[in-house]
Amino acid sequence: MRPAVLKTEDLTVKFGGLKALNGLDFELCEGQFLGLIGPNGSGKTTFFNALTGIYRPASGNVFLHGKDITGVSPNKVYGYGITRTFQRLRLATSLSVLDNLIIGNQRNLNFGIWRNIFDRKYFKSQLKEQTEIAEDLLRRFSPDLAALLLKPISSLSMIDRRRVEVCRALISEPKILLLDEPSAGMTPDETRALMDELQGWRAQHPTLSTILIEHEMELINKVSDTCVVLNYGEKIAEGKYSDVSNNPSVRAAYLGED
Amino acid sequence: MDPGFFAQYLINGLVQGITYALVAVGFTLFFGVLDVIKFSHGDVLMLGAFTALALFLGLDQLSTPAWLSLTIMLCLGVVAMALLGALLCKFLVLPLKESPPLNTLLITLMFGSVIREGVRLFFPNGSNPKPFPALLPETSINWGNLNLRLDSVILIFTGAMAIVLTHLFIQKTRMGLAIRAVAQDEETARLMGINFNKTVLMTFALGSGLAALSGISTGLYYQEINFSMGLMLGVIGFSAAVVGGLGSIYGAIVGGLLFAFLQTLGAIWFSVPAYKDVFAFTVIIMLMAWRPTGLLADRSAERV
Amino acid sequence: MAANRLVGRPVSGESLIPMSQLKTQLVILIGISLSVIVLYGFLYLEHEWEIGLLLVTLPVAILLLKRANMLIYFQTAARMMPRFTLVSFVLGVLALILLLRHEHFALLMLTTVLLYVTVSLGLTIQFGFAGLVNFAAIAFFGIGAYSMAVLNHNFHAVPDLVIILFSGLISALLGALLILPILRTRGHYAALITIAFGILLRTFLEVNDVFGGPQGLKVDGLEILGWDFANSFPSVLGGGSFYMAYAIAALLLAAAAYLLTRLIEASWFGLNMDSVRLDEVASASFGINAPRWKITAFMVGNFFAGLAGAVYAAMSGFIAPASFNFADSLLLVSIVLLGGIGNAVAVIPAALLIVVLPEKFQVIQEYRLLLFGIVVILILRFRPNGLIPRGLRQYFTGSSA
Ligand SMILES: Nc1ncnc2c1ncn2[C@@H]1O[C@H](COP(=O)(O)OP(=O)(O)OP(=O)(O)O)[C@@H](O)[C@H]1O
Ligand SMILES: [Mg+2]
Repeated sequence: MRPAVLKTEDLTVKFGGLKALNGLDFELCEGQFLGLIGPNGSGKTTFFNALTGIYRPASGNVFLHGKDITGVSPNKVYGYGITRTFQRLRLATSLSVLDNLIIGNQRNLNFGIWRNIFDRKYFKSQLKEQTEIAEDLLRRFSPDLAALLLKPISSLSMIDRRRVEVCRALISEPKILLLDEPSAGMTPDETRALMDELQGWRAQHPTLSTILIEHEMELINKVSDTCVVLNYGEKIAEGKYSDVSNNPSVRAAYLGED
Repeated sequence: MDPGFFAQYLINGLVQGITYALVAVGFTLFFGVLDVIKFSHGDVLMLGAFTALALFLGLDQLSTPAWLSLTIMLCLGVVAMALLGALLCKFLVLPLKESPPLNTLLITLMFGSVIREGVRLFFPNGSNPKPFPALLPETSINWGNLNLRLDSVILIFTGAMAIVLTHLFIQKTRMGLAIRAVAQDEETARLMGINFNKTVLMTFALGSGLAALSGISTGLYYQEINFSMGLMLGVIGFSAAVVGGLGSIYGAIVGGLLFAFLQTLGAIWFSVPAYKDVFAFTVIIMLMAWRPTGLLADRSAERV
Repeated sequence: MAANRLVGRPVSGESLIPMSQLKTQLVILIGISLSVIVLYGFLYLEHEWEIGLLLVTLPVAILLLKRANMLIYFQTAARMMPRFTLVSFVLGVLALILLLRHEHFALLMLTTVLLYVTVSLGLTIQFGFAGLVNFAAIAFFGIGAYSMAVLNHNFHAVPDLVIILFSGLISALLGALLILPILRTRGHYAALITIAFGILLRTFLEVNDVFGGPQGLKVDGLEILGWDFANSFPSVLGGGSFYMAYAIAALLLAAAAYLLTRLIEASWFGLNMDSVRLDEVASASFGINAPRWKITAFMVGNFFAGLAGAVYAAMSGFIAPASFNFADSLLLVSIVLLGGIGNAVAVIPAALLIVVLPEKFQVIQEYRLLLFGIVVILILRFRPNGLIPRGLRQYFTGSSA
């Protein structure tokens, strides 16, 4: 078995009286592609938010490579190599595509005062380097998008915005990628193209582990190694999609009979 | 400390605290329905007091009896400010709903500044403090060191009544239900068939009416008003609302009383009177840093 | 390649006109000369009808230039050679100062405009970039002024330049007191905290005898690099107004503040500040330490205000708490909003309008807060990005790669 990179034990998140996550035990292995599914409001997004430090768990722990990172701030979590996309896009819409991607590459920027403000030659070389990285990355996902590098996000179509979000999460070459319904609003063709690119990227970065939240079951079936099903904040099934999809409690959850 | 002195401080503090709480309730209401901070609130309060004063000057010409004058001043002052609040909401606040919240804050702040300047420039001799008529009975009882003024008791009672009525209005009426629904979740409220704009306008009218009431109370109590009184009262009322927990009426009451209490403490401790505000604000700002969402409000996380 | 496009030619998709270097410089010089002439008009003209005429013709002229596709030349040129533009502008204003050297009032106004520009640039960094509201700008200006008064009086041996710097630092450090509550609280409580701070500071100064109470303090004049500002211009060269040296100092200060603001904007610092302003949650998820950038913006902005306050104090020779009103903080915020939030260039015309118009139209003087309040309300309602909206972020707009 490959080593576990990310693990949670008894993870619980509460909003007032509501337990959005209830004692979740979860494990993600190196290089694994894990599909996270469950009906609306079952706590999938909350799980991402708890992992990335946006919500503080009421109890339980998150371990990264065996190290307890529960309650660590989001910017530290990024520093550990975990990046994400958001279900409702969260790009800086008045900034350019390039700016948004550079924001995603924080880890590789130099923030010395001298190197930023006074040594403009050095800064220029840094900018050039970042621009090339960003452009290369975009081109892999869509050559047309690469041409829009300097356009503001607000001038982009929804699809392109989603692509930019995925690229923003990838540009820093993370170890763990969290995708929250990246295909929402895309046509099947567009989704397939996006997933192909993602698979291409994974082929080149075999240690990257991915969690994908997705409502499109076909997609989950195709791309995921294993999947985890949530309902009312609890894990109700886990395993290969073909097994899970035949699990009676999963069917019940999706059909809403509880 | 001498119990008489103590009681005196208590009464004075209560009058203050109730006034602050009235202002804070307004902030809490606006924030509840629209998540906005209406910074012109203090100036609406001031304008309410000046409206009442203008009415009094008119009525005085007709030698109206004091109780009648007072009733008219209160009613018209409150109604006028409620109307102004609704207009402000309709023309300056709602249209900016989709822009950054900073813009709403700025536009109301500037609106407050316009009211302030308007009164200073256009009210006769408006840049100087104006005497406010003492319309409440001036009876008082002396009890050792305690000088219990009847008007203080009336003001405390009126203020408390106004808050209780507001609370009942929000808890018990249809309109109140709509306000609560909108405060909970705008989308759901709309789906339930609630007229969003009307509800928000009503809330602004209600809050602004309360501001007028507290402005008139302040005038009656100190028997003097000036064009810049709203600035400080607005800032205090906002602080009170924040410290108590924006969105909660109980929070507003607790915050208002707390602020008055701190000022009273400051007045006892420091020989320089001006330090009482410095003291109160310092403590309040520290409290805000300690409990950013307020003492009473529950800590909800921003939805991501 | 975008990379080459980025550092080689101006970007962002506007229609740009290719120009040779010489032609670019020529265009810039013409543009700067025109602006300096307009500035001269605003400062020098006295009759209300003259200023009125200027106010009417100016927008018409700008509109005509735009129609004739000429404006774009100036804009492109200024973007291609920003440093050349800045230097020519500074030299142009310097020439103007020499030209006006006997006009006390014009110089006083120019100095005030330049000091207000400096403070507004601080505000631009604070809420244009980092999204941090500050309604105590005038309080930080005041802290700089009082620091100047006290330090200059007590430390004769220390060069005045150092004292000015220290005044700015004191302003930034006192501002640091507010950082914890501002960072801990969400949303616009920062507005409340800064307003309270401004009001309280004034109260504090009024009741403290060390700071002269309500009467205020006398301030010694400046002497920098052996130039006693009071003696103004060497008489050999024709002499000049008392205010001339201060106008030059304010000009250099404003230029330095402008340069620094632009450099911050065009670096990762500015990028992160913008990101924090636009979406704090997303920023944090990509490793941006929001408090760090807010603190930086707050400190730098207050530093600017403190520096300007120090020069102001030395120039006026006398300061009192009453000169640092909440209303003045609002005026400074108005400058930033009128110009265009986050646009460093825009504060220059905005400050000019807001400072000079009330002085020129005596009728306005009394009504200025009212009028500017209404103007800002209209701006926020109908043109929220200001007269000259901030464009897309740009790192390098320039010349050779
Ligand atoms: N910030 C919050 N405050 C209060 N309740 C919240 C918050 N965030 C999520 N919830 C609640 O927690 C539960 C789980 O929500 P979550 O967004 O995690 O669901 P989800 O599985 O991502 O659903 P979807 O498929 O619709 O995206 C829901 O009942 C939701 O209303
Ligand atoms: Mg979700």
